[in-house]
Order: sequence, then C-alpha cells, then structure tokens
Amino acid sequence: MTRVNKRNACVTDLNLIDYEEAWKFQSCLVTARHQGRLPLDVCLLLEHYPVMTLGKRGGRENLIVPERFLENRQIPLIQVERGGDITYHGPGQLVVYVISDLDEQKCDVTTFVSMLEETVIRTLKNYGVRGDRLPLNRGVFVSGQKIGSVGLALRKGVTFHGLSLNVNLSLEPFSWINPCGLKDIRMTTIQNEIKEDVQMAEVKQIIKSHLEDVFSLSLHDKTRDDLETIAGFSGIKTASAKNEAAHA
Amino acid sequence: MKEINELILPNDLFYTEAHEWAKTEKNSVKIGITDYAQDQLGDIVFVELPQVGDTFEKGSVFGSLESVKAVSEIYMPVSGKVTAINTALADSPELVNQDPYAAWIIEISPTDLSETDTLMKKDAYLKQLKG
Repeated sequence: MTRVNKRNACVTDLNLIDYEEAWKFQSCLVTARHQGRLPLDVCLLLEHYPVMTLGKRGGRENLIVPERFLENRQIPLIQVERGGDITYHGPGQLVVYVISDLDEQKCDVTTFVSMLEETVIRTLKNYGVRGDRLPLNRGVFVSGQKIGSVGLALRKGVTFHGLSLNVNLSLEPFSWINPCGLKDIRMTTIQNEIKEDVQMAEVKQIIKSHLEDVFSLSLHDKTRDDLETIAGFSGIKTASAKNEAAHA
Repeated sequence: MKEINELILPNDLFYTEAHEWAKTEKNSVKIGITDYAQDQLGDIVFVELPQVGDTFEKGSVFGSLESVKAVSEIYMPVSGKVTAINTALADSPELVNQDPYAAWIIEISPTDLSETDTLMKKDAYLKQLKG
C-alpha cells in the first residue's frame, strides 16, 4: 500500500449559521491564512438558514419570483464574491467551506474544483448514489439532476466558499430560481434518491473522511472559539439568534 | 500546473507577491497578471475592470478574474490613477491565458514611481515561487 503524506488541517462544525455571519468569519480566516497567523488550511462544515446568494456576476434575471416574495418569507438575497450564479442554501443542505492556500499546495483552481466535486461523488457513493460530472456545468449531478454545487473565491491565493450538497432539504425554494443560471434544471437530494431518511450528522462524518482522502489531509477538530481567536473574529451571534426566531 | 522552469517571466517587469506584473513606461505603468497566475486560475471567462479615472492605493483590489466557478481578486502593485483599461478583455478574456504579458489589464498614472522599489524583480519572484 502506498503511503501518502497527509497535511494537517483543521475542521470545525459551525452547525446551523446565518449566511452573513459565516461569510464574515470566512473572510477573517482568509486574512489570517495569508498573513500567516493561521498556519493550516481550514474546512468548515455547516448548514445555513434559508438564503439566496448571487455570485459575483449573477444578475437578478435568474430569480424568477419577485424579490418581495422572498422578503415575505424572510429569505435574504445576498450578492457575494464567489464564482457562479444564483443558488439557494437552507437547512438540510450540507455546506463545506474550504480555506486553503493554493500557492502553498501548488494546486491550480481547476484541480481544486475537481477535487471538491470528487469529494461529493465519493460521499454519494457511500449511499449507493452515482454522482456524475456533466459538460453542461460544474457541480455534481444524479441522472441529470443537480445534487452538489461548487463556487469559490480567491484572495491572495487563499480559497474560500466551497461546495454544497443537498442532503434532505425541501427543494421548493429552487423552483423560485434558475439554479446556477441553468434553465429547466432540476435539483435532487440524497434522501430523494435513496427514499430513506438521511442524517446530516452521518453525512458530515462521511464527507470528512473523503475530504481527508481527496485533498490528502489529516483533519483535526477545532472548536469555533479556537478558530475565532486565531482569526481575530468577534462573532455576530445576534444574526443567528434573529434567524432562529424568524424560522422557528 | 506548469513547472516553475516552464513559466515565462520577462526580465523587464516588476512582480508582486500576489502574482501581478507591472511594467514602467515613460509616465505610466501597465499592470497584468503573471504566467503563474493565469496557469493557476485556468480558463479565464470574465475580467472585471475598473473605470478610467478610478484611483487605488498600492495593494488594494482593482478588479477580478473569473475562471472555473472561481473569482480571484487582483491588486495594485503601486498606487495610482487608472488612465486606460484593456477593453479587448471584456469580449476576449481568454487573451489573458494566451499571453498574460501582452494582455495588460490596466494602465495607470502612478502616484509615486518610487513605490516600484518595493516590488520584486524576476529573480526574487522566482525564489518566491520556488517557496
């Protein structure tokens, strides 16, 4: 058996977190990473409260309901710096953000995106689901329906944002948009595919082992407080508290 | 990715840690991204350009490049005012991949040309790349 040298990296479970709060946290981690205060790459595992996000170039043309419709449901629409078009995040969708110094890894962006897709494909395989790449768009598809998406940003060679994998969420909000700018694309979830209950905690454990294999990492659990101290981030926990009330 | 010895790094340019190049001409500086940066990003599908007349401090973000689902910021090697943008990149962003040194992104009137003293020449940049 070939032994591969694995790099140490941190993994932190942020549980259910407000989008903007996680966004600011990532931003602080990116700064800490390229300034050298954070010596290791970081994987964040989380779910978001319901939110629509638009990539850097995404216009509102792929939102097919009026903005008021989202406001009435207390779903914010946020433009962010990642690549890609509009997407939806919500509870039941696993999001993995990867803060990685690509210069240090001597890795190019195309390979990095492929590795994120590979992580999703291997995770699906654990559930007996075959995930494919399609020439149509990046991401992972099951029988032509999208199950996993990828969107990244880079600041001084450090990546942030990452992948999302539909585990057991309601797909209704995707019908309000053309996900990733694709018309007539249908979305699916692991739970839809296997017709059985799927536990988020279990998917998180599985995806962690595949992140370790695909990216050649040895992941070490860190608490959120540990990372906040390193990143100099003072959490805005009120945002999540507000969301808890809104979506209770 | 290309091996370091395969990278094209002209001698007459200044380089930054974030992989931009700067070329000084009479009273102006042309700015682009290096062969390493274009190779790392892969196929560039969109170049976000500033406007002529915008001013930026050294080190601040003046635009971005989008490749395979990834947006990468680009930074000012030196402070200055944008005097020209390479509008050809709006329709043909792939020019940056084809020849990153011909495909300059912006031209600026520098605030203080001596800021180029803080930039790297080819040898120092190569050393950084070799890490």
